[in-house]
Amino acid sequence: MNTQNQNGYMLLFRGNDWYKSLSPEETQKVTDQWMAWFRRLTDQGKAVAGNPLEREGKIVSGKNRVVSDGPFAESKEAIGGYFLLDVASLDEAVAIAQECPGLPYGIRVEVRPVAAECPMASELKREAEVATA
Amino acid sequence: MNTQNQNGYMLLYRTDEWYNRLSREELQKLMDQNKAWIERLTAQGKAKPGRALERRGAIVSGKNGRFITDGPFAESKEAIGGYLVLDVETIDEAIAIAQSSPGLAYGGSIEVRPVAEECPLDVRARELAREEQLAMA
Repeated sequence: MNTQNQNGYMLLFRGNDWYKSLSPEETQKVTDQWMAWFRRLTDQGKAVAGNPLEREGKIVSGKNRVVSDGPFAESKEAIGGYFLLDVASLDEAVAIAQECPGLPYGIRVEVRPVAAECPMASELKREAEVATA
Repeated sequence: MNTQNQNGYMLLYRTDEWYNRLSREELQKLMDQNKAWIERLTAQGKAKPGRALERRGAIVSGKNGRFITDGPFAESKEAIGGYLVLDVETIDEAIAIAQSSPGLAYGGSIEVRPVAEECPLDVRARELAREEQLAMA
């Protein structure tokens, strides 16, 4: 795997129900830790954007463009928010993901390289190469 | 559901690598359509720059992030392939934009999610504090 990436990395926080079982003190503690973590990464120039998502929304799918509901609230797989990181290697992005304050409570952090171009364009180039080979 | 949102909406593209199954001509056509679609939304001030995600990466889980595993990001129809942030005020408009996405005709789905005004953890902490106050009253 190419471990260097000029375009940064996206952290996707998965799991939307983990904080429901926390006590008020724990909830406050994790909130404060999370805020401090994001502030530090921003100050260091390593986080360039980040947002929580509401635990609601819709899904539009397929040829017929059907609109359906979540689930976003109860699901362990649902995305609760994201960070965009300006770091140059997957290792550094993973090391930052490992600092996530939600991890002890069951959150999972997906670490994904941001693509330099649309994957359709890459595929087109690849097919063109095959065709001329 | 609250249908108004000042903070915009995020479109999350959930697909496998369906575009690998298209011919060159189909692929070129779709890319042109997609480019025109994004350019129109950007010109209207409705979309901020979106990005595609590479079909690789890692998943970190467990206390102190001690478990690091791979995808699947390539084959899964549920995997996130990219995102777009919309600067529109209602979920209906965000849904209508998602429905006009040229790639949908080939399968896959688009998740439409309101960007939160504040962290849901914060909201939960306040809820709990209120409940505690009520219990003590």
